Amino acid sequence: MSDAIDFMNMEGLKFFGRVNASISHELKNILAIISETVGFSNDLIDLTEQGEKLKLPLFKSCNESIVEEIQRGFDTIKQMNKFAHSVDVPIKETDLLETLMLSIKLSSFLSFASHVQITSQGEETKSVLTCPFLLQNLIYQILIFIYKSIGPDGQINIQLNSKKNDGTQILFSCPTQLSLDGFPTQKIQKIIAILGVELNMNEFLNELDIWIPNDSKKIIVLEKELQMYSYTEKSDNESSKNS
Amino acid sequence: MGSNKKIQLLMVDDEVKFLKAITERLKLKFFEITSATNGEEAISAAKNGQFDVAVIDLQMPGIDGVKVLEILKKNHKYLEVLVLSGHATIESAVACTKLGAYKILEKPCDFDKLVEAIKEAYEIRLKKKFEYDQQRIKKIEALAFGQSPLGILKELAQMDED
Repeated sequence: MSDAIDFMNMEGLKFFGRVNASISHELKNILAIISETVGFSNDLIDLTEQGEKLKLPLFKSCNESIVEEIQRGFDTIKQMNKFAHSVDVPIKETDLLETLMLSIKLSSFLSFASHVQITSQGEETKSVLTCPFLLQNLIYQILIFIYKSIGPDGQINIQLNSKKNDGTQILFSCPTQLSLDGFPTQKIQKIIAILGVELNMNEFLNELDIWIPNDSKKIIVLEKELQMYSYTEKSDNESSKNS
Repeated sequence: MGSNKKIQLLMVDDEVKFLKAITERLKLKFFEITSATNGEEAISAAKNGQFDVAVIDLQMPGIDGVKVLEILKKNHKYLEVLVLSGHATIESAVACTKLGAYKILEKPCDFDKLVEAIKEAYEIRLKKKFEYDQQRIKKIEALAFGQSPLGILKELAQMDED
């Protein structure tokens, strides 16, 4: 197994676990809100049965809150499903805006997440051949680093620029001080190397960006390695079946 | 609980909607509640108020729940703290217990169980406070023998600092 595939397997599993844990926390929070709001509605009904006048505005607000939380739950499950399916095809033409949005959404489940605002410039469709799961991991790791640097009240502006023909830039900038001490972490460096993307940092401007080329040779090499890997895996499975 | 004094409760959770719903329900159970949406607010509220029991979440932006628990227990000797979290792990539960949390409850939690746990925590607080007051009375009685009034006052001031 190549070093890159080894890393992808190990790190992928860690990333998958971490994201799933944060989703389960989010769902628990949603259920806790629904549970307490339903409980409060029942308390209001009990009071009415005991002769008190029904507090209609409070009752209505409970129902609205329940509907909102159910919607939030559906949305979370939708993101969870998208994330789960992002491992289906290891290398494919990937919509960068969609990948970016998903990574932001997944990272928003972390308690220390900052506010993120996203803008997009250039062509409408920004698809590149890449490993969507690893790219999500990269964006997620960058966001975590920035969240920790600027704190939960901080703001991150993310701009997706695909004006040039040879690739797309994802620019992360902060209106407040962004300390890049210890950045990029070893994990981020490794992901960048595997994906064949470029990282640029400008601490003076409180920003950093990743440049994703449309045709990365490293991705083509990785795709071949992955094909070999899945072929070997298939052969191993078949020979163990026959033995 | 013999007296009509309401239990003074500090509720800490960063999920505003959850906090609002549970606070409304607890008010109906005759608790006097102050709510805080993060660790800093909770520490500040505890400093400015007299609380019997605090119910805190673990994962919050800024100061996390474990640190809040540590600070609350350090600064408020008789405050009993319950942890109510959807994020508790065995490690965090062990850490919270070591820091003196009365109970760790998992979110979503049965409301009646929560109310019961708050009342139990309040009784523990009363018991500890009573034992402390008894010890204090004994110390004061001992001091009263053979001390000048000024000496007694000095010793009392020292006891308060302890």
